[in-house]
Amino acid sequence: MKLQQKLVLLTTLSKGLMAAVLLLILPWLVQTLVLRHTDEALRTELRQVQTRIEQVGIFEFLPQNQTQRRTHYDLLQDEFIDLQAVTAKMPPDTIGTFPRQRQGSEVDFRVLRHTATYQGLRYIIEIGKSIESVQEVYELLRNLAVYALVFAVLTTLLLELGVIGYLLRPFDHIVERLRAVQGPTPLAAPPLRTSTSDFQYLDASIQQMLLKIQSVFEQERQFIATASHELLTPISLLQNRFENMLRAENLPEEAETQLVTSQKTLQRMTVTLRTLLLISRVENNQFARTERVAVRGVVTEVAEELEDRINDSALTIRWSLSGEPTLAPANRSLIFTLFFNLLSNAIKYNQYGGQIELTGQPTPDGGYRLRISNTGKPIPAEHLPFVFDRFRRFDEDAAEGYGLGLAAVRSIAQLHHIPIQVKSDLQHGTEFSMHLPPAA
Amino acid sequence: MNVLIIEDDRALARELGLFLYNEHYHCDFARTGREASEKLFVNEYDFVLLDLGLPDQDGLQLLAQARQERNQKASIIILSARGSVDDRINGLNLGADDYLPKPYSLLELGSRMQAVTRRKHGVVLDKLGFGEFTLNLGDRTLRYGDTALEVTRKEFEILHYLLLHRGKVLTRLQLSEHIWGNNINDSADHDSNYINVHVKNLRKKLTQQDPVTDWVETVRGIGYRLRLEDEPAPTT
Repeated sequence: MKLQQKLVLLTTLSKGLMAAVLLLILPWLVQTLVLRHTDEALRTELRQVQTRIEQVGIFEFLPQNQTQRRTHYDLLQDEFIDLQAVTAKMPPDTIGTFPRQRQGSEVDFRVLRHTATYQGLRYIIEIGKSIESVQEVYELLRNLAVYALVFAVLTTLLLELGVIGYLLRPFDHIVERLRAVQGPTPLAAPPLRTSTSDFQYLDASIQQMLLKIQSVFEQERQFIATASHELLTPISLLQNRFENMLRAENLPEEAETQLVTSQKTLQRMTVTLRTLLLISRVENNQFARTERVAVRGVVTEVAEELEDRINDSALTIRWSLSGEPTLAPANRSLIFTLFFNLLSNAIKYNQYGGQIELTGQPTPDGGYRLRISNTGKPIPAEHLPFVFDRFRRFDEDAAEGYGLGLAAVRSIAQLHHIPIQVKSDLQHGTEFSMHLPPAA
Repeated sequence: MNVLIIEDDRALARELGLFLYNEHYHCDFARTGREASEKLFVNEYDFVLLDLGLPDQDGLQLLAQARQERNQKASIIILSARGSVDDRINGLNLGADDYLPKPYSLLELGSRMQAVTRRKHGVVLDKLGFGEFTLNLGDRTLRYGDTALEVTRKEFEILHYLLLHRGKVLTRLQLSEHIWGNNINDSADHDSNYINVHVKNLRKKLTQQDPVTDWVETVRGIGYRLRLEDEPAPTT
């Protein structure tokens, strides 16, 4: 899961949780608030009533005919004020919800009960408000709170989505840049535009790493060039000298033979050195991959090139390539070398009159599966993991080989992102199979 | 013909000079880019053999200068041990006539120089003959009288090379360097032993037509040579 998605999920979950908790405690909270507000209103009214009694006197306040009690309802009987003389000793001020008769039915009222003494007589003043009227305010407040809550959750969520996206954008930029890197070439990109120091740090670290890699590659390139020059020049000298010596008149036969043998040794050395240099150059990324290579054409060309050796060992090649495999981007001459080495191996390690099979078919991912198999002596299982290693050749009796051909194959395959496997057994001989990636 | 050998390795330059002297070229030597520039400025050469790894200057730079500023008419052949991937392309783009990576066979160099000379003078070699055989270079065919022979590309090239150096012994190595080229990217082990196979097949085809003369002669495990026209058949 992407970091952005995770963050969004996290904030959504936390907000959801918060909203759920709020929604749960909201009724209680609002109820408490509304009641407290009502109580406050009742107290205010009580003070007004008290003020009034003090102004006009308790007897003026009570009705003429009945001096013990006065009850006053408002028009809709939502509120009442009740003044009553009592004789018993009463508890001090209380406030609570009590049922009370109103127009024949019992209704809950919020009631403030106050005890007071006027002119030596004890009175109870009750001021009440019907819960129903309070309920309306309560519902209004509750709805408002829910709306506000939903609104707040949604807007902060949207805001966070945007901000998270914005904050994480440098990350995408860095990844984009890294993916664009094809080789150890310097990044020409300007410094990353972000105020997040973590990303700046990451970017700087990557740049530093790339610079380091680049300098190592550059050193290796230099080394290869120098080694190439320093090693090939003396070989060149020897080869030319042998050639000149062979041209001399009246050279004893023995000397001639020795010179030819030396020439051969020198040539082996040259081939080995060239292959090593080729592998180094491939691994040093000195080959541009800019071509579209039709694999069938290359393999055909290689087979033609090797036709004489194939005929010499009386081998038959069985072709069954379906489709038109294409490698792109690729380096044609490297691909040629790859198939040349594989095919010449298939010839070299084959038996007289044997077979070489070339099969291939497209794979569902748009790539291509190519197999080159031969009917030669199988490679022992314990050697299989190492056949692509430099200077490994196990069969000492086999025809001349320098143990580097397959190493070059692997390097070239790696450069072209071609996975290559080998399997070998007595029944099927040796098979190299490659998965060519879909052409770009 | 005058040749300027620009090579910082003295011994290598000497071998090259020795070979060219025997091929009747007149050789001049330069060991540094500066020396080479001076000589190119003063003298006129038919050939410049240029090593790219000079101690004081990049050979390609020298090549560019020689081609642009001095308008040298000399044919330039690059001989390089650097073997960088781009050197060949750059060299040819900068106006070199040919490119041989080290180590090269001297015979191959000689043949390339001859080819460059022919090209320069507009000489087209279209047919070469020996006995009743005709090698047609245009359509790359071999005929015996009126009969066309089927030869592979390699067989044709071997015969062509033997014919160009007729009478001389060519080693297997020289032949393999010629037909398998000297591609720097090419690491394939072109075993010079495979030359035997080609020559064997070629010889079979030739004797089928002309059973009397053994045209391609094997020389004591060294190599092969194409018999001269008026040569007496070997006694053995």
